[in-house]
Amino acid sequence: MTIPVTLHVNGETHEFSVGPTEMLIDVLRRRLDLTGTNRDCGMGICGVCTVLLDGRPVSSCILLAAQADGAEITTVEALERDGRLSPLQDAFLRHGAVQCGYCTPGFIITATALLAESPRPTRAEIIEALKGNLCRCTGYKKIVEAIESVAQAP
Amino acid sequence: MPENWTEPPGEKIALEDLAAQAHWQREYHRILREMHDAERAGPEGAVEGETGTVGLRLPRNDVLYKVRGRARYAANIKMEGMLHCRFVRSEHAHARILAVDTSKAETAPGVVAILTGADIPPERRMTGTLTQDTPVLAVEKVRFAGEPIVAIAAETPEAAEAACYLVDVTYEPLPMILSPEQALAPGAEQVDAEGNVIGDLLHELGDAQAGLVEADVVIENEYTIESMDHCFLEPPSGLSFVDPEGVLTILVCTQYPHYHHKQVARVTGLPMEKVRVAQTVVGGAFGGKMDNSVECVIALLTLKTGHPVSAIFSREEVFTATTKRHAMKIRQKMGATRDGRLTALDVDVLADGGAYRSYSMIVGGRCVIHSGMPYRIPNVRSHYLVTFTNYPPAGAMRSFGIVKMAFALESQMNEMADRLGMSPIEFRRINAMVDDDRTIIGQKLWDVGFLKTLDAIEPIYRERKREIAANPTRNGRKRGVGLASLGYGIGYSGVRNPSTARMRVAADGSVVAYCGTPDIGTGSDMSLAMIAAQSAGISLHRVRVISGDSTKTDDSGPTSASRTTYFSGNAAYICGQDFKRQIEAAVARKRDVPPERVQLADDRVIVGNDGLSFEQACALIADEIEDICGYGKFDPDIAMNILTFSGNPYATYTFGTDMVEVEVDEELGRVEVVRCWTAHDAGTLINPTGTEGQIDGGVVMGIGQALWERCMRRDGIIANPHYRDYLLPGVKDVPFEIQNTFVDNKDRTGPYGAKGVAEVSLIPIPAAIGAAVMDAVGVRPDRLPMDAEYLYRQIAARQDRRSPTTMATAV
Repeated sequence: MTIPVTLHVNGETHEFSVGPTEMLIDVLRRRLDLTGTNRDCGMGICGVCTVLLDGRPVSSCILLAAQADGAEITTVEALERDGRLSPLQDAFLRHGAVQCGYCTPGFIITATALLAESPRPTRAEIIEALKGNLCRCTGYKKIVEAIESVAQAP
Repeated sequence: MPENWTEPPGEKIALEDLAAQAHWQREYHRILREMHDAERAGPEGAVEGETGTVGLRLPRNDVLYKVRGRARYAANIKMEGMLHCRFVRSEHAHARILAVDTSKAETAPGVVAILTGADIPPERRMTGTLTQDTPVLAVEKVRFAGEPIVAIAAETPEAAEAACYLVDVTYEPLPMILSPEQALAPGAEQVDAEGNVIGDLLHELGDAQAGLVEADVVIENEYTIESMDHCFLEPPSGLSFVDPEGVLTILVCTQYPHYHHKQVARVTGLPMEKVRVAQTVVGGAFGGKMDNSVECVIALLTLKTGHPVSAIFSREEVFTATTKRHAMKIRQKMGATRDGRLTALDVDVLADGGAYRSYSMIVGGRCVIHSGMPYRIPNVRSHYLVTFTNYPPAGAMRSFGIVKMAFALESQMNEMADRLGMSPIEFRRINAMVDDDRTIIGQKLWDVGFLKTLDAIEPIYRERKREIAANPTRNGRKRGVGLASLGYGIGYSGVRNPSTARMRVAADGSVVAYCGTPDIGTGSDMSLAMIAAQSAGISLHRVRVISGDSTKTDDSGPTSASRTTYFSGNAAYICGQDFKRQIEAAVARKRDVPPERVQLADDRVIVGNDGLSFEQACALIADEIEDICGYGKFDPDIAMNILTFSGNPYATYTFGTDMVEVEVDEELGRVEVVRCWTAHDAGTLINPTGTEGQIDGGVVMGIGQALWERCMRRDGIIANPHYRDYLLPGVKDVPFEIQNTFVDNKDRTGPYGAKGVAEVSLIPIPAAIGAAVMDAVGVRPDRLPMDAEYLYRQIAARQDRRSPTTMATAV
């Protein structure tokens, strides 16, 4: 059995026939070669696979592709504009918020959603927003600082 | 031989055309220049010459690709005709394999090849780090649940996975050995043909018994530390294929490609020149990507099928089938005089090495050598016994066991200070190692910054103690502070482990530095580029680093043991000097002047009164530029007799002191670390942002180990092979306030005075948290993790001791 779905990914519309258990992450990584969205736990806990679904951050490893039918999906690859990094990408680079980088796209996507909804979050709000993303390298401090630098930019 | 596949383009950058790569490289250089200029203009901008960058906070080249989602992790690589490999793993912790029936799997849809251990000639079946004791695929028996038995390559991951369920393995279960005590019991089932003991190490300095008699105060405790997982977020992944020259190529996330190079050559029977192992971008390692994971199996499957083969572990496989931190019991007796002088330390470690040897002996050697470190103790007895059990192999993990030794030692130090009525800082100061002191195995120390780290923490400690004494409770939670220290040897223990670097230049002035030690996410490629460029006298933007490739780079050892900045940094420095001399000599020949009249500095070549840009100089010497190859080898004289434990096991040592402030909920036993201060003797910081990142990350890993992280081992299985029940620290679980101090102390043997720091900040954290818990609620944790249930019971027992009537009422 397959299910026809329409996905608007990074501004392009795609029609797929997906399996009933096919996850969104597999459509992104395997069918569209959007490998910036990483995979780890497969249980929606670590957050490395976070993408935006109609502007909200979701774990693409536990979202069925069929559930995303008709949705606007944004992955890390779509954040740069006209050959420049997005402000958050730029801040992560400058603040040392990235070490191994495996969690990075998930964090940047989550932070992108946060700043879209609330452009001037407090530190506590930033930390609250990041609670679904794990990082093993940085100790989180520089990640929070990078996001703060964007939130506090003039 | 089947047709060949070429490596996907782009090296460590995923799937972009050359124009896009060139654009983003320019973009990186723009940001680099901006930050460089801002840094130089700032107060910290005191750097060498006009082009020196050591000490500046600079953005990492790889990070540009990581924030764009373009880093090429092994799982991101696709090739035409690529097959997907999945493993059939043992359901038993200890069992004889009576039969492996793959017939149903062979005809399953999509299956291309099936590999069993029996398919590999017996003399090639084993891999291993020090001892080749670990089968690529188990043949006669399995020694832990999760051990691989069969590998299946299929057209899709789903087909491979489905076929795994069609393999019938017939087992004859054997008695399980689930603890070192069981392993050592008379008549115990033997896990290994050579018995259940992996290693038994003993070192004595002076007379520990006499030292304990001489002491005014003796304390004795036993500490229990459970096994934990590295939890790098990128599961082990790799891809193998045969390149157009017939070289079997493995692209894999690893800390040590040259090790896998040798292993794959041995297991496949190919000559080493026909094998290449290149590191992909690594999503964290922490010691867990040192051993064989997918490499040998995918290599064999590529040879069997002629196709590229990819394998990616699931998270559950990471928990059940990769190495772990050793579970340990550490018994320690410590003696001191009333005036605070340590007289003796007596240590017995019983470690659970799991099913295979892996790095158990390396961990053991380091634990023995570090007994009592960083204190001057005249009498030490240190005994380390590690046995096999039927749990996943215990191996290398950040600090190679020293975080556990420090938990015991530093907890003892804090208890002893309390018993003596001294501040923990004063007591440490009396016994602290200083320059010219000798370690317990006789190595003389230099540039010891330990006292400076105590000096840095002391005013903060006093201030926090005062403040908490005035306000001992906040929101109903008890407050406390605690500290602990560390001393740590950089690099392999007791064996030479040289690193080398090479530098080549093209006629357009672009420079490539080659070094064997891979960047596993720490930013070592950036540090090496900064060191090499400054040493050569050229601008940083010219230098690209290629690391971790068994064909393109020399074997410079693994990225482990905090060794890359120090060892490879030194190699890069020496290499830069050699490169500079060669450029100068070549220009001198062209201009027909003596070489001493030519100088390469600040990215210009000065010839007498004339100056050339580096590009002009390269154009001038274009016809001989291919002959220029800077070379640097750093090979300090490390030698130790492992039988007598004497000699110089490390090229340098690093020291530090960490302090934490906690709040403890007595009713729930929950601890929150609210603030943390660290002081490290890291020598010169090459890229301070990177150094801080290592320290912050180590602190958080230490908090995880102290409070939550454990592999729950029940009846031969790991019962929590996922993040739902294995609790990794998240952003809300750890303090934002981690304040790092780096004491002013250059290492005369380090590159620009640098030491290594990747492991160290972790080491004192569990003991510091233990001390803070004691300060807050009056119980002294002797177990890791000191989770809520454990602390709740400890606190309840304390209250029972204090007021038996309360207990009676409660009953």
